[in-house]
Amino acid sequence: MLSGLQNPRQLAAQVLNFGLILSTAFMMWKGLSVISDSPSPIVVVLSGSMEPAFQRGDLLFLWNRNLLAETDVGEVVVYNVKDKDIPIVHRVVRKFGQGEHAKLLTKGDNNAADDTELYARGQDYLERKDIIGSVFAYIPFVGYVTIMLSEHPWLKTVMLGIMGLLVVLQRE
Amino acid sequence: MYNSLTRIQNVFGFFTTVAFVVAAFIAASDFTYDRTPSAHIKTTNVQVVKGRPHYYSTKKEEYAIMKFSLDADLSSLFTWNTKQVFVYVTAEWTSPSKSPASAAATNQTNSAVIWDSIITTPSSDHLANIGPATLKKLRKSAAGKAVDPKRGLLSLKNQRPKYQITHPTGRLAETTDVRLRVHYNVQPWVGFLTWSQTERDFGRWLRMKDGLSRAFTLPAVKKKDEGKKAKA
Repeated sequence: MLSGLQNPRQLAAQVLNFGLILSTAFMMWKGLSVISDSPSPIVVVLSGSMEPAFQRGDLLFLWNRNLLAETDVGEVVVYNVKDKDIPIVHRVVRKFGQGEHAKLLTKGDNNAADDTELYARGQDYLERKDIIGSVFAYIPFVGYVTIMLSEHPWLKTVMLGIMGLLVVLQRE
Repeated sequence: MYNSLTRIQNVFGFFTTVAFVVAAFIAASDFTYDRTPSAHIKTTNVQVVKGRPHYYSTKKEEYAIMKFSLDADLSSLFTWNTKQVFVYVTAEWTSPSKSPASAAATNQTNSAVIWDSIITTPSSDHLANIGPATLKKLRKSAAGKAVDPKRGLLSLKNQRPKYQITHPTGRLAETTDVRLRVHYNVQPWVGFLTWSQTERDFGRWLRMKDGLSRAFTLPAVKKKDEGKKAKA
């Protein structure tokens, strides 16, 4: 216990090790970002508007390249509304025109009405650039941790503390 | 070295590894099942009426109301990894482009969902947004079954569309070459989301057989009083 404190070389190694873990995670995230061309290649579902397909806390993998075909009606996309930073996961239900200026309308499967109300004032349709990716794969429940963390901020401190303690105390 | 903390770490690490490997196997098992979807769709009654996009709007737009009959066999989509199948019918048509840059002959393709339905499997019934009575009925229809392929059999006669569609220009009447197409989206419990293939087969998954209506022309706008009746 606390052996790292007695040996500065070991302490440095542990700090480096911790840094390595953090930077690996960061590089993997950014690498996924580059591959999928999406600023946020993995998202956690925050609302129940796509139930029963997606529940709160489910993990979605996004793909934002149009290699074979354009983003089309029926795809489940994640979009950001102008000037709002909350990503929304809904299904494209209408598409008028093609190319980057095609007008897209979205709707949550579980919602009665389409998303016109959610869009910015004066915005009736989305364009391709508003979309940050189409959902292509799904893992249930795993993302619930992040919802817990954002709803109970003190958990963040506790978790960081435990992680830091573990790394410092660990002998490897 | 082997204190309780490292043991907990090891157990948790092993648990996540095993969980993810099992999940990967389940996801991969999708590709081992045959998919032989088929659908027949035809329009039964098509109307175009004038209306407003919302209550406070003064803009008048033309809305198409396309009633249709649909017979579909999507039963092969229901496997142990199917959480729900989302079936949707789109109307597809082209309209002359409005942009001045490409004013000449370029046509704009349009597609809009006119009807959709969520088909849950018995194991995901409890997640559906339905009333207790409907849920009870649904449960009863598949008592004791974990997978119920029968739910993939659709037979709709003269179905009203759920969505009355329009075009950003507000004009829709007398559009030619409109077609209805049936699509599906399979939502797994874990793994890849898949959509209906229209052109090519993919391994054991065959493309949608038929699923496209004959081309039809939208009629002229109905008179006001008749339109009101149709909306009520």
